[in-house]
Formats: sequence, C-alpha cells, structure tokens
Amino acid sequence: MGRILIVDDTLFMRTLLKNILFAGGHDIVGEAGDGDEAIAKYQELKPDLVTMDIVMPKMNGIEALKGIRAHDPNAKVIMCTAVGQEQMVKLAIKTGAKGYIVKPFQAPKVLEEIKNVIGT
Amino acid sequence: MTEVPVKVEKDGAWVVAKVDIGKEGLAFGPPIDLEVKYKSIIDLDERKNVLFITVKGEREIVLRVASVEKVLLVLKKMITMSCSAYRLMAYFMSPAVRGGVMITSAIWEKGAIAVLKSGIWFVSQEKQVCVPLQEVTGIEMTTREVQAKKVEVVKIDHMEGSEVVTSFVLCPLSTLQILFNFLKDATKHMEMGEGQVVDPQAAQVGMLVYSGMDSLAIEKMLQITHKDLEGIYERLLKIGLIEVMFIRREVQLTPKGVRYITDAVKPPGQ
Repeated sequence: MGRILIVDDTLFMRTLLKNILFAGGHDIVGEAGDGDEAIAKYQELKPDLVTMDIVMPKMNGIEALKGIRAHDPNAKVIMCTAVGQEQMVKLAIKTGAKGYIVKPFQAPKVLEEIKNVIGT
Repeated sequence: MTEVPVKVEKDGAWVVAKVDIGKEGLAFGPPIDLEVKYKSIIDLDERKNVLFITVKGEREIVLRVASVEKVLLVLKKMITMSCSAYRLMAYFMSPAVRGGVMITSAIWEKGAIAVLKSGIWFVSQEKQVCVPLQEVTGIEMTTREVQAKKVEVVKIDHMEGSEVVTSFVLCPLSTLQILFNFLKDATKHMEMGEGQVVDPQAAQVGMLVYSGMDSLAIEKMLQITHKDLEGIYERLLKIGLIEVMFIRREVQLTPKGVRYITDAVKPPGQ
C-alpha cells in the first residue's frame, strides 16, 4: 500500500479520492489545492504516488507534474482529467505521467490503476 | 463448413449438439435439427458466454447457444458480419476508458459495426464487442486526435457489469451522424424529462454513488444526516436516476441483548 498525495482544487474531489484510497488501504500523507502547493508538498512529504488534477488555478497539473519531475525524475504521478481533455492527456504522457483517471471514476478501477503504478 | 460442438437450450434443458458454421448459415445437428440462414438472424446478444440468436421465421425464435470462447468468437463473427443488420465499416476503440481509468494500451481497430435490434457490435479480426442498447448510458459526438488530425468520433458510454466503459467509433462523417442519431433515438428514454431537476447536493450524492460509496460513507463525506440522505435518495428514485439494491438495517441491543453481551465478556467462572 502506498503513501499518497492528493492534488485537486475542489474539496469534494479531494474528499472523494481520500475516501476511496483510504478504503483501499492507502495512507493519505497530504492534500494540495493547486500546482504550487503540490510541488512544495511533494518535496516535503516524498509520497509514493501523486493523484494530480489537470485544471487548477495558479499552476495547472501539467506544470506541477513538470515541477515534481524536475525535483524527482522517478516521481509517480497519475493525472485526473475531466472528459474531453484528451489533448491535456497527450501532453501529460509526454511529460511523464504514469496513469490517467477520467472523472467521474469508479473506486475499484482507481485502486487497480494505483496498484499498477505503485508496483512499477 | 466447420463443424463445432455447442450446447443449445431445448425445452428448458441444455443439450449437446454439433453445428456446421457455413458461408450462408448455421446447421444444427441432432437433437436440434435446424438450419438457420444468417440473413434470417435479426438479433444477437451475449450474456455470460451464452449467445442469444433471434431468428425471424413464421414465428420468431430465440436460440440460446453456449460453447467455449473460441467457438463463440467464430459464431459471433459469422453472424454479425452476415446477419440482417445495418453495418458500416469503421474504426473503433473499445474499451478506451474503464471505470474512469484510461486504457493506455487501447488502439483504433479496423472493422465493422453491426447495428442490431438490441445492441451494436464492434467486430474486428481479433474481437467482437457487444454493447446492448439498454446498457448505453451516454452518446456524444466529440473530437479526438487521430494521427495528428482532429476528427469527429462518436463516444459511447456503456455499462459492462458494474463498470462504466467508454468506447469510440470513427467513420466517415455522414455515417457517423447516422450512427449517432440511431443511438440517440434508441436511448431517448434515458434523457432527463422536462421538470426533472437535480439540485447540487443530489448531484454530489449521484457522483458518490457512481464512485462506489455506500450510504454511510456518503453521509460522512457530505456531513448530512441519514434523514437528509433518505430525502435525496427519494428525489433521485422518483426521476429514475437510482434504484434500490438492498435495505441495510441499523439496530441497537435490547435489554436482553445487553445482558447477553455483558455476560459473554465476563471471565469464565464469574
């Protein structure tokens, strides 16, 4: 089971993911509401995995992914996108994201994806 | 002709028979003794490794056929490619998203789409995917980038067991529009009616149910009471957005129960 940092600008989505991951036996080490905070928390908490929303205020998820990977090239980040953001997904692939979750999502599949990514 | 063993339902029981898979149709040997031309097949459905083949004749019959996966694959391919259906050549990607997780290995497959009475089939050299119309949860015309070009595709969301699966279909625009209109029409009953409004909190509840949260988790997450949640469920039930799976009981101990538990935890001999 992994130590996970959840990054999303909405409290609702953070709480939802937190519930799903906690029920799946993961340890939620921190939460961030924007890209800047995500990079700072990553450096501070050194989680096994980050779930990263793409559309966020201040710094978006792609920029935050770049920032995290500049600090740790082996960082495992799963991007969280809304339907219709396939362009962003392509960009995230190039930037080094390890997985992609499309909102709305179902708990068992999210846990499966996280298990796959943490295991790599 | 290829002869393969299958099980066919006859008078409520499964019987073993052989079927010749020919170019024009299927010939079931004894004890079924039936010839079925592909052109007379008007519907095909698959549920848990059983094919439901609807044959038009003097009276419509539904043949239930079970076999090993390899045989079913051949049967499905022959039937979907030759039966009485609207067919179009297309590229499809199915599944592209499963339960909200993007399938990174998903690829565009060249094949055909057969539109039958109860569902549509994606058929390629390697696989046949059935999307029953009653399992379709959403249809949308959208754009995807294919080989560095933005193209129009039809996005189909459908249920596969308890999972929500997204598939994409790509074909010439005029055909795509026909497919989109057909699916839109076939799933019209799922659209929200006039005056069917979902308030923001009920929408949040819906989202949590989608994600697999149970009632207790929903109450905790949204910090609402059991009574509040019951009210929201009632509203969602009324407009057909949810259905009751089962009713879980919350209980408390009776005085007899309290006495039993108190006694049960006493050390032996006391």
